Amino acid sequence: MDACRRRLVKSAAILAVDGLVSSRWRAFGGDPGFTAAKNGPKVIVLTCGGIRRAETFQEGGLENIPRLYRELLPQSIFYPFVRNEGVTSHYNTISSILTGNWQRVDDWGKTPPASPTIFELLRKRMQMPSDDAWLISSNKALSSQIGASSVREFGRRYGANVIFPKQLLINAVVNAATQGRVLHMAERSTMQQEIEAMLESNNYEGLGWSSSGETSTLDEKTHATVLQAIDDLIRTNAPVTGDEFTFLVSVEVMRRFAPSLMVITFSDMEVAHFGSYSMHVSGIRTVDRLAYELWNEIQVNQAYKDKTTLFILPEFGRDLDGSNTNGFFNHRQNDDSTRLAWMMCLGAAAKPAGVIERPIQHIDLCNTIGGIFGVMTANVSGKVLSEIRL
Amino acid sequence: MNPVMTRDHNTIGTAEAPDFTAFRGSIERLPVTLRPSLNQQLAQWETLFPFERNHLVGFLNGIESLSPAALNALTERLRALEVKMDVGHWNFSESSDTLENAGELARSEYYLEWRHEVQKIFEAIDTRTTSNAKSELRRGRLIILFLPENLPIDLNSIGREWGSHGHEIKIAGDSRKLRDLVVMGQPDQPGICELLKERESYNDADLWFIDADSRLTDALARTDFSEASSLSYSDLKPFRDNFLAELNTIPKDMTAADRIILKMRQTDWNRWWPSKIAGQERLRDFVVNLFLSGNGALIFSNAFVEWAASEALRRARPHAIVACFGVRSKPKPFTGIAIFENQEKISPMHDEDDPENSAVDAMILARYIWLAAQRYKEYDGALCLCVSERLNTAYIVAPLEMNLEISDRAVEPKDIYGWITSWMAS
Repeated sequence: MDACRRRLVKSAAILAVDGLVSSRWRAFGGDPGFTAAKNGPKVIVLTCGGIRRAETFQEGGLENIPRLYRELLPQSIFYPFVRNEGVTSHYNTISSILTGNWQRVDDWGKTPPASPTIFELLRKRMQMPSDDAWLISSNKALSSQIGASSVREFGRRYGANVIFPKQLLINAVVNAATQGRVLHMAERSTMQQEIEAMLESNNYEGLGWSSSGETSTLDEKTHATVLQAIDDLIRTNAPVTGDEFTFLVSVEVMRRFAPSLMVITFSDMEVAHFGSYSMHVSGIRTVDRLAYELWNEIQVNQAYKDKTTLFILPEFGRDLDGSNTNGFFNHRQNDDSTRLAWMMCLGAAAKPAGVIERPIQHIDLCNTIGGIFGVMTANVSGKVLSEIRL
Repeated sequence: MNPVMTRDHNTIGTAEAPDFTAFRGSIERLPVTLRPSLNQQLAQWETLFPFERNHLVGFLNGIESLSPAALNALTERLRALEVKMDVGHWNFSESSDTLENAGELARSEYYLEWRHEVQKIFEAIDTRTTSNAKSELRRGRLIILFLPENLPIDLNSIGREWGSHGHEIKIAGDSRKLRDLVVMGQPDQPGICELLKERESYNDADLWFIDADSRLTDALARTDFSEASSLSYSDLKPFRDNFLAELNTIPKDMTAADRIILKMRQTDWNRWWPSKIAGQERLRDFVVNLFLSGNGALIFSNAFVEWAASEALRRARPHAIVACFGVRSKPKPFTGIAIFENQEKISPMHDEDDPENSAVDAMILARYIWLAAQRYKEYDGALCLCVSERLNTAYIVAPLEMNLEISDRAVEPKDIYGWITSWMAS
């Protein structure tokens, strides 16, 4: 992505977060303390959609992940064998990671996870404020239900803020297309009106977001600047990636809220469902770059430096070439190619660096994060990864 | 007594109407989760390919050949699993495969056991009905894949993709001549259309031309041959655009999605079909099902070629399949984010070709077609050629009995075509 477009996406991300900050400021009665950096440990989980080991940590795949392999791997605890034994769909996998139990709920996020998420467990036990737990996702298969379980003692009041930055952009595109005004999209003022109308008719809930300090509209200044950034973005002759936008929003959330637990999910590589291998690989390379930039942000952000543990893992792999599920297009096959992923753990709780060849599971992450915060979690199937501790 | 046809299932003709009532009775004897796909096939009998009809009839005859005790023994474990899975309380459609059915099954903790049992039952019944499959069905099968001249194929990537399965040969002169020879033949050598048509049981599902653009279909139009299944991604554009617009109205809700998909199957798309496939009801239905099954067939031309070829192999088991890839456009700003939208409608910017990445996609997807064929016994020992017109090379996976003498010497297109016709005549 060229510098100009990057700057424009960044402006859009900052301004989207501005909208949240101002609304939350009001929701918290103007208490400036709610954005103060917390002193405890921080955990960031970066997951991404399906990528096969063959395209990443195997010979022939390393060229797609130069930063993960050369820069981050040497300083990490690396688990090469992470098994997804659950339903290899996005909503069920993320729910399983968050709850430490294999979830078998509606694939399209119609129902919440059936057991408490790590957000709820931490927020309830540690009395964390609501701005201390975030889930920021590119993935269209998720819904705001992912942030809290259906368990009565927990639920939304202990859940995470859930936002889908990419959905803001998708809604703008889809709205313009379905309203049949697309012929005017070249005119920047008209395009601005399209997006502005969409934003005004969809509050955060309408975008699929769930934020405790929710407000129904963005302020005028935010509107105008976001639209300007998007309009400028349209004028460039290259694709904009949803994960880039999700990343930039995540960084702004870190800077403004400094949450103790943040989960980010990327999905550019899921273009594989449409059968373009080159675009799928491009999505993997984007994750490689953004994971590295996230790590660098952690190093320079005083609220995160030296106290943050970063987990990076794919949700699952993808199907084998020659499978009756059409190979890399999908992630449905009961095979190691689909079920086996890897995990990299960096930072405060990941010392000393090393490769742990013992097979682990995605559901082990929940209890491990609980351990970093000193919270013991009951009724969680996943184990604590003994190598990860403060 | 067997209430349905008793003929060898390999010889049942397409005109023959089965005893649907008896068939439905056979399906009723099966566990609930086996019924939707069989009922759906029966309901779509008119648009099934001959291979599918034969296979369905063979399978249902296989059920009827089992005594009640034998069928119970075979399906007992699956029925018990269905109880554990609580299928009785699902909103489970028995009349057709639905997204909701698939979602319920895949989410069940018993899903893998269920799949194992289903596979076991199908294999047991198939074994009873296919033991008399004729060996000549495997003879002379052909898969030809063209990577046209505008795809900048990397010389090394061909070997990397195809590995040690075959050999690379150099083509002397203009390799595009091979494409024309395959479709149209030459004065002293008929095209593969004519060669196949000479076969007694030939029907238009035995030969497929699948095209990203219109290289194959244009050549075909220069012949007077029309008895083939010919699909072109570019020719389908009006239909694709309208179909995609409708598909994009599907909400994030499985029940609603199933409702809309059913409606789309029943919609009259007549005005949007290209004239080339006018009156070809079965081929149109194939395309509708193809687009409803995803896999990028509506979005990218090369994904269309791969998925259409894979589905043709699965459903029709053609004697010959000829596919030609093409170049896709670069995603435009924002359309990269909402990639399921129609790029041309969303952005007024001019399309810009992306030959390099199209070549990467096509190389992989060409091999996927060959891999798809490998899943079916009919293609054991099929002749497969993947031709790069840019490099003037072909990668050839040839059956041992062809005894091809491959050397470093460049081979004339007419000589390669000679190999093909000899193989088909074998």
